Amino acid sequence: MILYTPLSESDIFPSSENAYKNRECINYNGKMIIADKTDDGSYQMVQLISTDPQDYLDQRYIPGTFLS
Amino acid sequence: MNKEEEEKKEDQSNSSSLVQKIQSLGQTNVVQAPDSNIHVLTIIGQVEGHMQLPPQNKTTKYEHLLPQLIAIEQNPKIEGVVILLNTVGGDVEAGLALSEMIASLSKPTVSIVLGGGHSIGVPIAVSTDYSFIVPTATMTIHPVRLTGLVIGVPQTFEYLDKMQDRVIQFVINHSNIKEEKFKDLMFAKGNLTRDIGTNVVGTEAVEYGLIDEVGGVNEAMKKMNEFIANNKSSENQVIQ
Repeated sequence: MILYTPLSESDIFPSSENAYKNRECINYNGKMIIADKTDDGSYQMVQLISTDPQDYLDQRYIPGTFLS
Repeated sequence: MNKEEEEKKEDQSNSSSLVQKIQSLGQTNVVQAPDSNIHVLTIIGQVEGHMQLPPQNKTTKYEHLLPQLIAIEQNPKIEGVVILLNTVGGDVEAGLALSEMIASLSKPTVSIVLGGGHSIGVPIAVSTDYSFIVPTATMTIHPVRLTGLVIGVPQTFEYLDKMQDRVIQFVINHSNIKEEKFKDLMFAKGNLTRDIGTNVVGTEAVEYGLIDEVGGVNEAMKKMNEFIANNKSSENQVIQ
């Protein structure tokens, strides 16, 4: 299939809602974190929401890490 | 017996968490950096309002930012806030809410427009005590638009016009741009292909008086430290 359109690919083929169903906003160590819930019930970090720049240098809040 | 067993269990869980820490970081203690006296608020993607956008959109949610602004205001250790903007715009009322919150903070605020500070990003950028724009950043100024169900009556236009007026009033009250000039930019034809408005780039935004200065992180931090020093000296005077 060849598409010729000014629309972006995601407009024509919207990603399924299920892909983001597991995304939650949680409180972890007093920080607001957006995380994906994995099948085994643990959380994998997606984004840290904080105004403290030092939080972003903290090894514990690197996106992709599993929160215990 | 029971107590002993419990203690044993606790010991085991303690040692297992220690093992986990060593495995993940190679050390037991995470070195804590000192608390920063300047906090950073990033406004990225779309400014999300009452409608939740599909999750593939990058959004800034006001329900995340408003409590943080209150926390900043209340925390005596925080002496200033830097607002980083790279936004395509979004909900008018959510954007105005953020702008008003930033404008009414008692602590010094400095904004840097990076990449883009379009549409509702304009009032957010000018809401701070001092605003910077990097030379390559742009700001699109255009009339307010309405999506969703629109009733084709004259009142709809009036509603839209009033909403637009709130944005215009906020911008002219918090920046050095003249109302006439801002409206000229907003309703200009031929600047945007097949659309009404103007795309203002770095230095132009400063020339129009919309933004205070062209500069990046270095200039913003210098300005912030200047504000903090001024605040401290005025506090000392009051005590004396």
